[in-house]
Amino acid sequence: MLTLNKGERQELVFINEPQLDLHIQQQEGSSLRVIVINSQFSILNSIEVHHVGTGCHTEIYALAYLKNKESVRTHTHVHHDVGGGTSKQVIKFVLDDEAQGEFLGELKILPNAQQVQAEQTNRNLLLSEKATMRTRPQLEIYADDVKASHGATTGQLDESALFYMQQRGIDAPTARRMLIQAFMQDIAEQISDEGKRNQLLQTIDGVVE
Amino acid sequence: MSELLVINNLHASIQGKEILRGVNLTIRAGEVHAIMGPNGAGKSTLSAVLTGNPQYEVTAGEVWLKGKNLLEMPPEQRAREGVFLSFQYPVEIPGVSMVNFMRTAVNEKRKYEGKEPLSATAFLKLMREKKQLLEMADKLNNRSVNEGFSGGEKKKNEIFQMAMLEPCLRILDETDSGLDIDALRIVAEGVNRLKTPDNASIVITHYQRLLDYIVPDYVHVLANGQIVKTGGKELALELEEKGYADFE
Repeated sequence: MLTLNKGERQELVFINEPQLDLHIQQQEGSSLRVIVINSQFSILNSIEVHHVGTGCHTEIYALAYLKNKESVRTHTHVHHDVGGGTSKQVIKFVLDDEAQGEFLGELKILPNAQQVQAEQTNRNLLLSEKATMRTRPQLEIYADDVKASHGATTGQLDESALFYMQQRGIDAPTARRMLIQAFMQDIAEQISDEGKRNQLLQTIDGVVE
Repeated sequence: MSELLVINNLHASIQGKEILRGVNLTIRAGEVHAIMGPNGAGKSTLSAVLTGNPQYEVTAGEVWLKGKNLLEMPPEQRAREGVFLSFQYPVEIPGVSMVNFMRTAVNEKRKYEGKEPLSATAFLKLMREKKQLLEMADKLNNRSVNEGFSGGEKKKNEIFQMAMLEPCLRILDETDSGLDIDALRIVAEGVNRLKTPDNASIVITHYQRLLDYIVPDYVHVLANGQIVKTGGKELALELEEKGYADFE
């Protein structure tokens, strides 16, 4: 169990960590950002965050780009035990070949956790007909004065965008690569450490072939 | 003047439904051809088929661009040979910046022509010049392609891309739709200033309005998948007055 003390700020970045099992407790006014990137292995990412103090802020960004028969399960448990906090989750999967992705997102807002703002977004891109994605948002909201939103979409590359790019002279493989990179870009941009951000951008470049 | 584009007996269909039923059209360098016609006549299908949109199937006929068989080329090769479509509905591409998009397009074309890629400085200078032509804002470079652009900005952006790529065949598909009068003037002036003796234009439009600004040498009426009438610019005025009832 990791504890963020009052007012503490932390950014945790995990790039191709073989196994992730995080339990984090946030005290009053602390701010946490977790970024998880997977482009290999078959693993389970489990991230559990509790707001035990008021006015905490949590951001979770997770991106998996998988090929062959790789499989990544990302489970998040965000618990607003007390009020006045915010949380934001952006979870993305890019699945090629026969890869499998799973997102389970548990968001809990307890009865006296008023004035919470919670946001959960799951977007998935399937590059092959044999790739599969399971997504299960699970919102349990017991307080009435809160703002909670969630959205999940799974789709393929935009054919009209591909054609538009080809019409400007960009060949199909390059256009596909640019669109896949664009899909993943916003997660990479969240990393404030420049070295780690570049490492991730290189990882993205490396896997998108 | 030399023949730039020759279309012979072109038939095309979408999902088994025949839309073009034998289009014949010859365009020489330096010319502006307007294609008018009722909704559903096949105007946009013609632009889609010329650019190689995979949704359409060519069932008969041939198209030659400067003596090369256009229909055998993939869409990107047609573009590099100089076919440019100003889309009726430009596509939004979130996450791909205008500068990245344009640099890739310009350099792929240069590579095809056996030229060195442009340096970053030369490229940005070119972007700046062409933006001025369309009276576009400087912040364009880092915006995603067409994302959140207004209708007018999208159409300006099409002509801006046309200015960057210097095509020999410029197809404007309903470029006037959704434009207010100021944007229409800027877009039309851009098209006119980019006109050279070596390029030609196909202006697809439902209304005569755009042709006040981009004056055609020929006006064709496309109805039921065929060109049924050809005339000079006065034909557009006649159509505006009488409508397309005679052709439906």
